[in-house]
Amino acid sequence: MITLKNLYKKFDDQYVLNDLNMTLEKGKCNVVIGQSGSGKTVLMKSIVGLLEIDSGEILYDERNFTRMGKKERQLLRKEMGMLFQGGALFDSLTVEENVMFPLNMFTSDNYSSKLKRVDFCLERVGLRGVNQLMTAELSGGMRKRAAIARAIALSPRYLFCDEPNSGLDPRTAIRIDNLISEITREYDITTLVNSHDMNSVLEIGDKVIYIYQGCQCWEGTKEEVLHTDNEALNNFVFATRMAQQIKDI
Amino acid sequence: MLKALSNIGRYLVMLRAVFSKPEKFSIYYRQTIREMEDHGLGSIGIVAIVSFFVGAAITIQTDFNIENPLLPRYIIGVTVRDSLLLEFSSTMVGLVIAGKSGSSIASQIGMMRVTEQIDALEVMGINAAAYLMQPKLIALVIFLPILCALSVALGLLGGYLVCLVGDVVPVSDYIYGIQYVFYPYYLAYAMLKSAVYAFIITTVAGYYGYHVSGGALEVGRSSTQAFVLNCILILMANLVITNLILH
Ligand SMILES: Nc1ncnc2c1ncn2[C@@H]1O[C@H](COP(=O)(O)OP(=O)(O)OP(=O)(O)O)[C@@H](O)[C@H]1O
Ligand SMILES: [Mg+2]
Repeated sequence: MITLKNLYKKFDDQYVLNDLNMTLEKGKCNVVIGQSGSGKTVLMKSIVGLLEIDSGEILYDERNFTRMGKKERQLLRKEMGMLFQGGALFDSLTVEENVMFPLNMFTSDNYSSKLKRVDFCLERVGLRGVNQLMTAELSGGMRKRAAIARAIALSPRYLFCDEPNSGLDPRTAIRIDNLISEITREYDITTLVNSHDMNSVLEIGDKVIYIYQGCQCWEGTKEEVLHTDNEALNNFVFATRMAQQIKDI
Repeated sequence: MLKALSNIGRYLVMLRAVFSKPEKFSIYYRQTIREMEDHGLGSIGIVAIVSFFVGAAITIQTDFNIENPLLPRYIIGVTVRDSLLLEFSSTMVGLVIAGKSGSSIASQIGMMRVTEQIDALEVMGINAAAYLMQPKLIALVIFLPILCALSVALGLLGGYLVCLVGDVVPVSDYIYGIQYVFYPYYLAYAMLKSAVYAFIITTVAGYYGYHVSGGALEVGRSSTQAFVLNCILILMANLVITNLILH
């Protein structure tokens, strides 16, 4: 469980996160939705500490991340896995080396057991026979999946996914969504997913949080998303004409 | 002025991170070996070519400039050797490597920054500055002095071949000259300078790459800036060290 208390973050006098309070629950997919530029990525990067927040508190299962020193943070980060919006695979390494990288860094297993773990993770995300390819040789969807494999290699307790299915075809997108959701339940981890894709929200959003211009505007489940009277959220959810017409029927 | 100060501050902060203890020695070790291959062995070719031709040219020019019949001919060998040792080799190799390795370090790290690979390292709990720069730093600080010594040798060889084929100095005089009153201390001095240059090149290039924000355009720009600053700093360091040690 991750708890955020009164989070503020500004860039040059412009507040991007404005008094955010939320609880990300364990064993569930917590989905943050919002328009492009609403601060989803900034929020995720603040939670993992890539961006320093201006004020507020971030608690990882009662451990206060905001007050930790560098060493403690590094220790805690071994429990985190993160999927970046662009994948962020190491482009000088092969797929296999990418997934093995955290294992090499933080375990002292021998090569064959590490390889077994790598194969397991790649299998889990549905990538087979690409071990020796360079990351540049993968398609966008494969890159995302390889990045997920790397993120789960060390069995994290906290998983962060920044738009895991942007730029993918609907079928692949749903596969990735389901994958994240399955992993979350299977290992009982706390997962935070950023998305602006309503399909995936309805697919996996155990808990849905809508942020609008850096403020937390609405919170609920995927069932409730469709029946809210929050105007901003309605405009977001039923953005397309098709959705609007279906709703009117 | 304020900007320069804040840059220096950030540079020092980065240096402290670079010098922290590795997460895992075996990985850093392997990476260091790889960097030595890339930036050390991979530069032998260019260093050899440049040194060979510069050595040849210096020999011809020195001969051209010292035409005093009162001076013994072997003095040309001595002059060529000492200019290579004291000045040309270390500085030349420094500038060549600043162009070759410095730019590549700045753009590699810069590209990793803009594609969030550095963020990915940080989130894993890895000290990205140390992981990326420490192996390069060690590899270059070890290898640049070696390249410098090699450059001296090949420069002398260039001079030798010019004497052999051209009508410059008799070969025997040249050979005598390059052995005449040789201070091994000069070689140590040249190699020490190279090690300092290696430190400058790696950390400045790393700094520029590490602090890029933007895209491909900014990465390109920062690698150019790193090269320009590296050249200036190498020449300044040359002046300072020469003044400190030889005076
Ligand atoms: N490093 C930065 N410096 C200054 N402003 C920034 C920085 N990073 C983000 N911002 C600003 O913060 C706001 C939120 O950006 P963010 O990347 O979080 O949006 P997002 O919700 O993730 O959008 P998208 O769905 O398009 O990814 C934007 O207005 C952006 O301009
Ligand atoms: Mg984003």
